[in-house]
Amino acid sequence: MLNEISVKLQAGKAKIVKELVQQAIDAGTPVQEILENGLLKGMDVIGEKFKNDEVYVPEVLLAARAMNSGMSVLKPYLVAAGVKNTGKACIGTIEGDLHDIGKNLVRMMMEGKGLEVIDLGTNVSPETFIKTAIEQNCSIICISALLTTTMTTMEKVVKLAEEAGIRDKVKIMVGGAPLTDAFASKIGADAYTPDAATAAEVAAEFCHGM
Amino acid sequence: MIDEVDCMNVRDILWEAARSDSHRALPILSFPAAQKMGVTVEDLVKNSELQARAMELISRETNTLAAVSMMDLSVEAEAFGANVRFFSDEIPAITGQLVSNMEEVQALEVPDLNAARIPVCIEAVRLAKERIHDKPILAGMIGPYSLAGRLMDVTEIMYVCFDEPEIVHEVLEKVTSFLISYGSAMKAAGADGVMMAEPLAGILSPDMADEFSVPYVTRIIDALQDDSFAVIYHNCGKSAGDMLESLFSQGAAAYHFGNAVDMAKIMAEAPEDILCMGNIDPASQLAGGTPETVAAAVKELLDRCGNYKNFIPSSGCDIPAHASWENIEAFFNTVEESK
Repeated sequence: MLNEISVKLQAGKAKIVKELVQQAIDAGTPVQEILENGLLKGMDVIGEKFKNDEVYVPEVLLAARAMNSGMSVLKPYLVAAGVKNTGKACIGTIEGDLHDIGKNLVRMMMEGKGLEVIDLGTNVSPETFIKTAIEQNCSIICISALLTTTMTTMEKVVKLAEEAGIRDKVKIMVGGAPLTDAFASKIGADAYTPDAATAAEVAAEFCHGM
Repeated sequence: MIDEVDCMNVRDILWEAARSDSHRALPILSFPAAQKMGVTVEDLVKNSELQARAMELISRETNTLAAVSMMDLSVEAEAFGANVRFFSDEIPAITGQLVSNMEEVQALEVPDLNAARIPVCIEAVRLAKERIHDKPILAGMIGPYSLAGRLMDVTEIMYVCFDEPEIVHEVLEKVTSFLISYGSAMKAAGADGVMMAEPLAGILSPDMADEFSVPYVTRIIDALQDDSFAVIYHNCGKSAGDMLESLFSQGAAAYHFGNAVDMAKIMAEAPEDILCMGNIDPASQLAGGTPETVAAAVKELLDRCGNYKNFIPSSGCDIPAHASWENIEAFFNTVEESK
């Protein structure tokens, strides 16, 4: 049953995944197992395939939607069982930039690693990233940019995190087409990742290390 | 020189350059003219006179193979009624979702050529043609799936492609009809061709591109292209490299690729009679690099692709407005110094 959930999730079958999750719950399968060996495992496979160029963006979107469909059934049971998220992150596209496909993919992939992700949308000010990280107790701030003119604003998020005294409590991740490792190092970010699947892996590693 | 251009179509000019022992480039270069003109990007995208002067400036100051009009992919969506946000230093962006269901799509009107900034862009091409006599004029235009994505939201459209593909096809019918009219108007205004940007098709799977982009692109090319008017197809997406056969079947005069693909791999797979262009990274090199890194990147590109007689060096996408002219000059100089 759990393998079937994983397989159907990979195929983007949202309705079937939802039904299978309910059946697994009804059959008495521990909810954490359904989460880890069904839903998250399916997203892991999709993430790996995406990283290896074996699937394309639409397949990832559909798989993520199927996971959310399964999670809508599973979530109340996870809460009742006291199952915690892997970690908590806030994500957004930096101020002045309205592009969101990359940011959406990273959010979905992070959720596929069991993280709770607060999506701040596009055109997000550095102050909003910091305020959210403090108020929501996020351990990761994830910033996206597609434009070369907006990516420079990412540095302000790092500076504000230092000024707010949360720099040692939060990892700052950056990504987007014009970015590089060197740029991330230059502005003092903790990580640059070249694709959504790697971003989710790095975020999960950060959470496990905290 | 005027006579030479008048008797050679874009396709001939590009092939002659590709087959020559020396190299010449055709980057997607327009917005950096704003720096030299002392105007903002917003000024440029709203003013045909400024656009024509920008094209004239680039044509005069660089050895580009053609003068390319502003690659502003918000123009057509705005004409359909989408909201646009303008910036002083970046090209405009579409915000929100104009249509989301069949009812809204059926009510969506195909705009006429007086809508929004469409007349500004057509007039810019007309003025540029009057003033630029030694190079062909290429008008910028969005591709059908990329326009549909801007009207339906670039993420949402992908779900709709799976859930209710008939809705996407309905939108594609309307945008294709409009793009044929728009391209025809550009042709009538004096453009020698269009560079049709279809970047969103480059994040689709090959099967999806075959259904939602390729047939519509083909229709536009069939309607516009003739001996005196060329369509150059631009797709800077990563998956473009996985759908080459299908893309090449569209019949464009040339294919322009982005830096998300390995240009050498594209050239190895492209038939000898298919003209390909690409792909120096406009963001990390032309905007973010130095003249030295740009020169090194161009040399590497030409080392790997320069021997193909169906290759023309270019930027991987539109060069950002704030890219330094030192980097742009390094690009052209390195191309021309290479044999």
